[in-house]
Amino acid sequence: MELAIGIILGCCALGAGMAMIAGIGPGIGEGNAVAKACEAIGRQPESRGAVTTTMLMGCAVAETTGLYALVIAILLIFLAPGRLVNILVETMNTLG
Amino acid sequence: MKKLDPTVKKETLYIALWTVILSAVMQSVFLIIGLWKPQVLFGNLVSAAAAVLNFLLMGVTVQNAVGKDEKDASQLMRFSQSMRMLMQLALCAVGVFFFDPVASILPLFFPRAAIIFRPMFDKRMGGEEKSE
Repeated sequence: MELAIGIILGCCALGAGMAMIAGIGPGIGEGNAVAKACEAIGRQPESRGAVTTTMLMGCAVAETTGLYALVIAILLIFLAPGRLVNILVETMNTLG
Repeated sequence: MKKLDPTVKKETLYIALWTVILSAVMQSVFLIIGLWKPQVLFGNLVSAAAAVLNFLLMGVTVQNAVGKDEKDASQLMRFSQSMRMLMQLALCAVGVFFFDPVASILPLFFPRAAIIFRPMFDKRMGGEEKSE
């Protein structure tokens, strides 16, 4: 029983860690977007306002991908272990 | 301390307004389906604050990064994204652990919803907004 609970907890933590790999992508993407925006503003300083607005919206959209990963990680860390252990205990009780 | 750029201020206010509207809608839905409890409200408040704060910090970072060269700007943005993600994880974990999980997670996506609605409202208001 303890081994099964340990495996459940370990797999949940591993899954959360793997989900957060997706958090790397938005960081790189946003970095590239801002770098290109700097280049554009350097070329046309008068378009600073328009470029900043578009970039902010683009960054917010890009960040959503990281948020999906964050939500999955939160669910795996805080909610999944309790539910899965409950299911395991109920199954063990049913089987006797 | 550097003054907040008017563009960043305007966009943050827009996102904050939509977050408040969508939070009100979510609270109404919880009330209608009979699942409303104080934890739903507090979870929503914590998560909505995290979402708006995340957008504001992103705007401040963009504002600071625009003045730097390409490499520094890119590094600053990556560092900021990691820190903001950690902040959201901490605030959302508080919401999920102490309050309602659904009400604590959904508001994180409200800024994205606000961006989706934006073109519709821009068209209705008479085309694209003029750049500064």
